[in-house]
Order: sequence, then C-alpha cells, then structure tokens
Amino acid sequence: MPSAEPLAPLVRVSGLAKQFAGARALEAIDLELRTGEVHGLVGANGAGKSTLIRCMAGLVTPDSGTIEVDGREVIISAPRDATELGLTFIHQELNLVPHFDSVANMLLGRPKSTRLGLIDWRRTRRPAQVVAERLGIEFPLDRRVDELSVAQRWMVSIGRALVGNARMIAMDEPTASLSDTESRRLFEVVRDLARSRVAVLYVSHRLDEVLELSDSISVLRDGRLTRRLTRGELNKPGLVREIVGSDLAPQEQSTMSPAASGQVRPVLEVRGLRRGVVVDDVSFNLRRGEVLGLGGLVGSGRTEVARLLCGADRLEAGAIRLDDVRVSFSTVADAVGHGIGLVPEERRSQGLVLNRSVAFNINLADQRPLRYLPWLPLLHAGRARARAVELTERLGIKTSNVDQPVSALSGGNQQKVLIARWLTRTRKVLILDEPTRGVDIGARAEIHRIIRDLAHSGTGVIAISSDVEELVALCDRVVVMAEGRVTGELEGAHLTEEAVIALSYAHRRTDRSVAT
Amino acid sequence: MSIGVVKHNGEPSTGGGTGARAPGYRWRRVLHLLSRYGTLAGLAIMVVVFSIAAPGSFPTTGNAINILNQSALTALIAGGLTMALVVGEFDLSIGYAASLAGVLVTGLIVRQGLPIWLAILMVLGVGAVIGAVNGALVTKARVNAVIATLGIGTILIGISFGYTSGTPITEGVPAAFPRLSLGELLGLPNPIWIMAGVLALLWVVLNRTDLGQRIQAVGGNPEAARLAGIPVDRVKIIAFVTTGVCAALTGILLASLLGSGTASAADSYLLDAFAAVFLGSATLRNGEFHILGTLIGVIIINTGFNGLSIFGADTFYQYVFKGGILVLAVALSTVARRYSQA
Repeated sequence: MPSAEPLAPLVRVSGLAKQFAGARALEAIDLELRTGEVHGLVGANGAGKSTLIRCMAGLVTPDSGTIEVDGREVIISAPRDATELGLTFIHQELNLVPHFDSVANMLLGRPKSTRLGLIDWRRTRRPAQVVAERLGIEFPLDRRVDELSVAQRWMVSIGRALVGNARMIAMDEPTASLSDTESRRLFEVVRDLARSRVAVLYVSHRLDEVLELSDSISVLRDGRLTRRLTRGELNKPGLVREIVGSDLAPQEQSTMSPAASGQVRPVLEVRGLRRGVVVDDVSFNLRRGEVLGLGGLVGSGRTEVARLLCGADRLEAGAIRLDDVRVSFSTVADAVGHGIGLVPEERRSQGLVLNRSVAFNINLADQRPLRYLPWLPLLHAGRARARAVELTERLGIKTSNVDQPVSALSGGNQQKVLIARWLTRTRKVLILDEPTRGVDIGARAEIHRIIRDLAHSGTGVIAISSDVEELVALCDRVVVMAEGRVTGELEGAHLTEEAVIALSYAHRRTDRSVAT
Repeated sequence: MSIGVVKHNGEPSTGGGTGARAPGYRWRRVLHLLSRYGTLAGLAIMVVVFSIAAPGSFPTTGNAINILNQSALTALIAGGLTMALVVGEFDLSIGYAASLAGVLVTGLIVRQGLPIWLAILMVLGVGAVIGAVNGALVTKARVNAVIATLGIGTILIGISFGYTSGTPITEGVPAAFPRLSLGELLGLPNPIWIMAGVLALLWVVLNRTDLGQRIQAVGGNPEAARLAGIPVDRVKIIAFVTTGVCAALTGILLASLLGSGTASAADSYLLDAFAAVFLGSATLRNGEFHILGTLIGVIIINTGFNGLSIFGADTFYQYVFKGGILVLAVALSTVARRYSQA
C-alpha cells in the first residue's frame, strides 16, 4: 500500500450514470483508485461491472458524471483517450493479434525506431524486453501468441499495458481460464505492479482471490455502488451479503440424499464429466418429468456441460447414462438420435436459419415423418406446413403465417420456434440455454408455461439461466456450478434466490491439487 | 482459445415496416424491386430490342429452340454449381472437371472400346469422385473451398493433358456418340430434354426432400444446422458430389457435340456457370441461390450471346459481355441480399 497518499487519487469517478433503452445500468457511481492500489470490483451478473469498465475505457458514453485523472477532469470518448491517460483495460478476450509474436503484440500501434528509413528491430524490441524481464516472463518472446497458453497471453497483455506506460490496469476475470499455479503467478505479478505504483482494478467473480489481493473492494448491485470496503473489514460472508443485498442465513448446502432421488429412475445420469478446466468432475441426475435448473455465474461451465450433453463437444472423462444405458455422442446428430435436444444460448447465430421461413425452422430437426412414404425421401409439403401450423398454434407463436421469414419475428417468438423444433416428436431430454434472454415479460411467462407443460408430459428438461429469479420460479430443482464444478443442489424450501447466489460464489479451488 | 467466426445470413429485421416512411424508403423500395425483377426486366428488354433490330432472324421458333439448346450445357453445369453455392461453399473445379470428363468418355469409347453407356456411367462416377475429394478437402481438411477446388481443378487440367498427350481424340468415335446430343425428340434437341430432366430433379431434391432442406439449412447457418442434429460435413460432401456429377455430364455432352475429346474444351463453362448462378440469385429470391433462377440466368446469358452473333459482333464484344455480366450479376446478387427487407 502506498505510504504517502497523494492529494488527489489517480482516478476518481463521480456520479456516473448510464441507461440502456430506459433501463438503469449504472446510477450515481463514485469510485476512487489510488496509485499503487489493488482495487477489487465485484457484483452479480448484470450488476453493472462491465458497463462501468466500458465507460472508463471510452467504449460507452455515460449519460452523466465525471471522470478525473490526477484531480483534473478528463473526457474519455474513445479507447485511445484512455490509453493516452495511462488507463488500460484487459478484457477477457484479450484482443491480441494471434499470429504476431509477443514482442509485436506488446508494441502494437507504437512508433518503431528507424535507422536509415528501415525499422531498427533491435532498438524497437528493447522496451518489450525490459517489460518482459520486469514481469519475469520465461517463455520465448518470439513465439506466436496463438501458440501461447492463456496465462502467457495474459502476461503479454499486461506487458503491452506496461510498454504503454500504464498507470492503471483494469483486468476483467483474469483467472477465469487459468490453472491454480498460473493464477498464483498472476497474483504475484499484480502485487508487483502495485508495488511499482501501478493501480490495478481487479474485476472477478472469485471472491477468495479478490479478498486476498485487494486493498479495497467496491461492490456493485443493480447498477449502484453499495459499499466500498477496505482491508480489515473484508470477509467472504460479508461480501456475499453485499452482493446479494439481503441477510441470508448461511444455510448449509441442502444436497439431496441419493436415496430420495432413487425412487424415480433418472432419465439422465451424468457422472464425473470433465473437459479442460471449464468442466471439472460434474455429476447430477435428471428425473423424468422434472425441470432441472443449472445455475451459476457466467463462465461457471453451465453452457459447456450442455454442449457435452448434446454432443457438440467431446468428453475428456466421465459417463452419460440415458435411461440406464451408457451413451457417448461424437456428433450432435448422435445425441439428437438418442432423443436429446438443445435450444442454444444465442438464438440468432446458433439456432435459427434467419433467411428461412418459420415452418422451415420448426421442421428442421425432424424431417422423416414428413415423407410421402417412409422409404421415399420426398417430402409432403402439406404435411410439413400442417405440422408447423399446429405447433405455432400450440405454443402461441405470433406470426402472420408459417411461410414468413423467421427473422421478422420478435425475440420471444423466435425462441418459441426453437422450442417447437424439438417438440415435433417426444424427446427424452431437452436442454434450454438461457431460454428467456432478451425476451419480454409476457413471452417469458408463456415460455415458462411451455417448459413446464413439456416436463409434465414426461420429458426431462434442463434449464440454464443466469437469471436467479427465473431458476427459482421455473425449476423443481437447481444444480449450481462454480468454476466448472457442482457446488450444490437445491430443492423445495431450500431453493431460494439467495441460496443459489451463495452457491454460485462457493469456492472449491483450495481442494484442487497443485500438481501442475 | 479458438476464435469462432459466426456467419450471419439474412439481415436483421428493420422493424419499422411500412409505418414510418423514412426519406430513403422510396429509393430502397426501387432497389428492392430492381434486385428481384431487374434480371427478368433485362431479359425482356433484350428480347424486345433484338426482335425490333432483327425481326427476321431473332424472334423465330427456330431461334428460340436454338437459344435453349445452346443454354442446355451451361444450365447443367450451373445447376450443379448451384448446389455447392446453396450449401455455402464454392467450386472452381467444374470447368476442368467437365473437360476431363469429355476427354475420358471419348477415350474410354475409342481406346478401350467400351460401350457408350458404360463409358458414360464410369465418367459420371469420376465426376462424383472429384466432388467427393473437393468435399472432403473442404470439410475434413478444412481447406478453404476456393483454394481446394482451384487446386483440384488445376490437377484435373494436368490429368486431361496427360491422358490426351495434348492432341484431341477424334479418330474412331462411333456415330452413335454424337447422336446423343444432336438427336431430337418430339421436335426438340436431346440436350434440352436432358437439361429439363436434370434441373427438375435438382429442384425436387433441393425443395422437396429432407436432403434439400438440410443443404439449405447448412448454407443458411451451419452452426444452427449442426446444433439441430444435421451432419453438416456429410451434407456438404453430398452437395459437392452433385456438383461434380453435373460437371461430368456437361463434359460428356460437349464431347458428344464436338465429336471429339479435347483437353480444356469445357474450361470456359466455369465463368458462364458462375455468371448464370449469380444472375439467378438476383432473380425473384432476394439473393439466394436457386435452381429456377439459375435457369433464367443461363437463358439471359445465351440470349445475349445469340443476339451478339446475329449482329455479327466481334469476339471482342463477346468477352466484354461475358465479363460485364459476371460482375453485374454478383453486384445485383449482393444488392438483392442487402435490400431483401425493404
């Protein structure tokens, strides 16, 4: 921590506010960052963390409020303004040029030293080498960035910030895809940066590491800064309380006893699923006729589990049993053949064929019953249309007719089209990833009704959602994940919004061996 | 970390509809109509102008049949190419595949003494293999389709020249072979019947079979198709095979027409086919590739050629016309896609 506090903080944000389409994203945010300070920024999904960062980085223009650097008010209207002020932002995607080497990436956009009109590479590379030494980078600097590990790419990104004489570095979820050892290494670098009088704004869902690293922590909830905590008044239950916004009794995980679920044979049994660091030993059961929620923060591995279950990605370890038979899918087509369907997260890019009709999109997954004769691959146009009409009516899809392009429909109706696609015949399991994202309230209630009806008819439904309220309202049971692992299972009276959030932040990193 | 690229087809809905008419609305509407019906209007204008300018020779039944007959081979190869484009890929090997097919079929008949029907079947098989190799390169080895098919096409040129040693196979072609394309049925030349049959078949496959729906889905949004359980790679390979078989058929008929097998005889069909398919995509259907459009595109091009030759225009003009129409076709197709929601 800095010994002699300068008069003005390095960065001061006051009264920052931002609305998106009438919805409040940020309100009256005051934030101070001092030289050499590690400042943690935490909050649930949608609390406004990324909007705040984007305002400071010049990617979003705030509606009101000011930003001061060294006590002087500044206007950051483009990313370049921020960089010139010494404020750098490392986003999760890292924004490196994959086929450039580390040095070239660190020096990107900087003037090159020249001699006789030609680039003098030795002199140009020097600043990058100095920074690499300072960061203790051990991998060869001339290796292409796309051949580096994620942790190494983070080092390159930090190096790039330092080459540009950064005074503040904001890091968004830096450890999301790092191993324990790699994370430890990154923490050291963060501390070194603070010691060399660089301020670090550390954004993370991982409360343990935020607590370990930060000199002070700001908590965002629903677009407001609820509290600024300094070292000493920091502990994890207190932090979770601030994030959730209510005093939840720290009830123990109400994991179901296996005997209770043994009465109904599960339609789907998942054991020890593993893929990289994003899905790590995930097990759960899905009973016939239930809506099982899959909760957790963005990046906790929920979507990746769904992709494993529907054959979009390959398992590294673990077993999937469907109706008591062990199955393994090498393609989505395999999984579909076994009666598993996925309504993907991004409906426009992953779900719909936008330039085609509603009927085309509904009938896509199951054409066989539409043939004139079972052995003749000739489709009965009337039958195809009739099936689409029947499903649009059943699900209340609002469209003037089923031949209309699906791109003309509203988000909620597009989502229903995707659900309809899997209702053309009875499925054993339907997985819905963020089933009501970007959908209005009315359509949302209807989609919930459709999902419950589907479960009543005997299908096992898995619903993935970042919306805790939705999980509690929709699901019979919720499995919560954090950092690729299942942290608990909630049912009945134990299934509350607070409990889901608390389990989302449950930290299991410590019991992982550091053998790498 | 892999960097996924999501291809977006179809424009987002512009929302407002007809309610609020922005200043640019009328202009957009004009562009929209032009992009859907512009090609048909162009064809109509050409017919009217040529009819007025050459009343004795252009607007006759004989000349109409002539135009269709000249269109037949281009329509076959362009119909096949339509399949590759609908599935969202590209095939630059078709002209060379057709040339090789012509050389092989004459060679098999003349040198190996095979019966004509067997030679044709075998060469169609070769076309399928060429398509399968293209498809496998694109889907399994993930080679960009332009590069893969250009490379394969170049190899095919080599094979054609190697097989003929550079000299056309002309001696000893049985009379029955040219009759294939010179014969007539019910007053119409055989190639017109073959074109009609093959295009009808392609239309049915694309619009009325599960396979066709899958091909269209893969072309429209490959990721959505995959997540809907469609075997994307297999569908793409099938589309390439169809393209290859159609190219081979074109080459066979051309060899029959010429009565000889000449390396590089069908090479120029590549550009004609692309021009026709893109013209067709700008016809009636908002920039989407479709069989009927392709047929119209072929007829437009051949009507143009026909008019030019009636007026005795230099070869020079034919190239200008061909190149101009290719560029115009792609531009129209792009405009059609952009203003599809007007």
